[in-house]
Amino acid sequence: MSTDVQISKFQLAALIMGFVFGSTAIMNPVTAVSQDAWLSYLLGWAAGFVLLGIYIAISLRHPGKTLIEILFVSFGQYLGRIIALYYIWYFIHLAALVLRVYGEFFVTAVYPETPIIFLLICFTIVIIYFIKSGLEVMGRVSELFVPVILIQVILLSLLLLPSYDTNNFFPVMEKGFKPVFDAAVAVLSFPFGEVVIFLMVFPFLNKQRDLLKTGFLSLLIIGLVLLITTVRDLLVLGADIYSRYSFPPEISARLVHAVGLHPIIDINLLFGGLVKMGVCLYAAVMGITQLFNLKNYQPFVLPLASVTVALSIWLYDNFLGMLPFVYIYIYYALLPLQFTIPVIILIISLLRRNQ
Amino acid sequence: MLRKLSRFFQYLKLKHLNDTNNYQEEERIIPDSIEVFKERLERVFYDCSDFSLREITLGDETRVQLIVAFIDGLVDKNLVNNDVLRPLMIDSREADLATHFNQSTALKTLKNDLLTTCDLQEVKSFKQLVTAILAGDSIIYIDGERVGFKAGTRGWERRGIDEPQTEAVVRGPREGFSETLRTNTALLRRKIKNHKLKLEMLTLGEQTNTDICLCYIKDLVHRDILETVRRRLKRIKTDAILESGYIEEFIEDAPFSVFPTVANSEKPDIVAAKILEGRVAILCDGTPFVLTVPHFFIETLLSSEDYYSRPFFSSLVRILRLLALILTTVLPGFYVAMVAFHQDVIPFKLLLTITASREGIPFSVFTETLLMGVTYELLREAGVRMPRPFGQAISIVGALVLGQAAVEAGITSTPVIMVTAITAITSFIIPPLKGTLPIIRLILILVANILGLLGMALIIIIIFIHMSGLRSFGVPYLAPFSPFTGADLKDTLLRYPLWAMWTRPRFLIKNNRNIEDEQYRMKKDIRTKED
Repeated sequence: MSTDVQISKFQLAALIMGFVFGSTAIMNPVTAVSQDAWLSYLLGWAAGFVLLGIYIAISLRHPGKTLIEILFVSFGQYLGRIIALYYIWYFIHLAALVLRVYGEFFVTAVYPETPIIFLLICFTIVIIYFIKSGLEVMGRVSELFVPVILIQVILLSLLLLPSYDTNNFFPVMEKGFKPVFDAAVAVLSFPFGEVVIFLMVFPFLNKQRDLLKTGFLSLLIIGLVLLITTVRDLLVLGADIYSRYSFPPEISARLVHAVGLHPIIDINLLFGGLVKMGVCLYAAVMGITQLFNLKNYQPFVLPLASVTVALSIWLYDNFLGMLPFVYIYIYYALLPLQFTIPVIILIISLLRRNQ
Repeated sequence: MLRKLSRFFQYLKLKHLNDTNNYQEEERIIPDSIEVFKERLERVFYDCSDFSLREITLGDETRVQLIVAFIDGLVDKNLVNNDVLRPLMIDSREADLATHFNQSTALKTLKNDLLTTCDLQEVKSFKQLVTAILAGDSIIYIDGERVGFKAGTRGWERRGIDEPQTEAVVRGPREGFSETLRTNTALLRRKIKNHKLKLEMLTLGEQTNTDICLCYIKDLVHRDILETVRRRLKRIKTDAILESGYIEEFIEDAPFSVFPTVANSEKPDIVAAKILEGRVAILCDGTPFVLTVPHFFIETLLSSEDYYSRPFFSSLVRILRLLALILTTVLPGFYVAMVAFHQDVIPFKLLLTITASREGIPFSVFTETLLMGVTYELLREAGVRMPRPFGQAISIVGALVLGQAAVEAGITSTPVIMVTAITAITSFIIPPLKGTLPIIRLILILVANILGLLGMALIIIIIFIHMSGLRSFGVPYLAPFSPFTGADLKDTLLRYPLWAMWTRPRFLIKNNRNIEDEQYRMKKDIRTKED
């Protein structure tokens, strides 16, 4: 692994925050349980720390190695390669999903007459440039933009303060605990479990001893910010609209009195999405490069990004078709990729250490 | 790699064809006979009407012949008369030359007893003598010797030290650099009276032989940065260096970027401050503009006056400059995006006014904004280029095309005039980016017409990605914001009081093994409660 690329702890934190904020900000799975959204979210967030702890432990046990290399070490050349392919597929797929969500978001909210493919290609061009500039630049750009996102969330929440209605919290657990738990599992998978991608990024942190602190702190901050958005949207919109509307933050931004802020808010939301798609595609191209023992990942960026655009169109016919799809998706993504395999890797590394 | 090699060989080939100033090896040696020397000099300066050659005979019994040569106009004639010719021709009569003056002691006598110039050097190659003549020195040659003297008699008509036109200040020193290299280095030396201020000379430009001076403080400058500057300067192969802009283009990191990665200034106090922060200044003979590297983006928002006035006001002004930067870049595009795409965001009454004023305008808002923007750029260019007597005509016509007359003619609406005017005013606030912002502004207007605010956001993101990737002599262009360095924020948008700025910029000093950690810190006296 070439070690001349290095990112600082601020950059890693910005990448993690941008990634987690990413598409969750516009489409949070907890909206399904309407007024209990905050409860599911809290459960998922808490479990997210456990998952992140597992990932960081894996990365610390294999210093300087990315996920693909760790797989080779843990499972051997052949099985390792197969699992690595599975992960790479997951990264590309995730990038395509996020891309499509952002395309749908802008088509629904701002540009109803623009063909979605045009927007997707525009985003992808930016992302290609983003990834081609290298991980260091990705870190630096996130470092500039992520604070803007956080400020925007807090500002919008403060501006909406007059519209808050605490009655929207009740009744708590109207339909029992089961739906709350299901939504919590969904939010654990998306976005917190997706942080497994950062196993491709962790080894580039310049001071590895900061990894645990940086990771947990950034998850704490961004989790809090997402909690604020969840509670804000719930309180402002009420349980009914909140669960029905596809993109609650967009519609609550429209409710700010006297000032039309929503185009600016939409664009702020885009920053997080770019970081997320950037990290996903970066992990994918980096994974392919390491899978075939190559040195330079640049040649893969353009083809893979093009595949992502096509894939994001093929995923589903329209936005409504996405919701059932996502729930299936959780079971093939969450269990093996985000939980089972990392735990196995961790156990293997622990056993090997004891030998 | 191959392309570089082939380019190098091509250069060698061209150089061989082109080079007439190149001396053969045997011609480098100074001949020991005065006839040969004179003939050689006259061959070199054939058809140079400003070349003067003076033959002198010295001594009573053993007569020694001398040659004094210089270029008329480049030398100070008083100096030549009083310090070179007068000692040789008049003072020598009073000296007791008869006893021990002969051919063999002539050199020593001249050097130790006769010539009264303060700057006198022995030169051993003919080529150096020619260079010295061309630089404005006088040379003295003694018959029978293989050595010549170079007497510093430079002095030509030069501009005095004026107040620079480009960087005006309310408070602060008024002097600016001038066209003479020596004057400029003296200005710097007067600001920094320190033997560690080093002034390295080198010559660039194969035809012009321009003097370049590399200026830095030893122990403060980062060794890698200095090495990079030296390496890049040595790599320059060109005929002419007429202005420091030539050097800038050869040494900058990103030749295809719209952002400048080399800073320039006309003021000695600015350059001195940058040298004191650990930067390298490149002075070029013949221009008052001095380059400083590495260059951060944030430097474009700073002014020397910020440090001379009180910190609160300086901080306020810096924030205003940032606002101006944002306005001048995005305002026209933002207006187009708002009117063309996001009418629902505009407050209702303002929307009514805009619609009313756009009534009867034949163009789309995009065409209109573009038209006015281009008109403004043309006016600005005309304002710079025009001969002074036309000034009044330009201002009258300018007020017509960018004003009420244009509105009444039904070509444009009043909001667009306002937008263009604000853009113009704010663009004057950030002069270092004058070559960058119009391009970005134009691109933003174009994309605002295609995708509204989203398009603008995408382009701005691309610009930020580009800027984050830029480096100036190994230092990230957007430092200290990204990569984030908390300690360096003290001198960015908020200017801390000078006594609170007690560390040097991290990125210029980091990893510098020349100095101990203690010395990183400028020992500013930190205010205690007593004072």
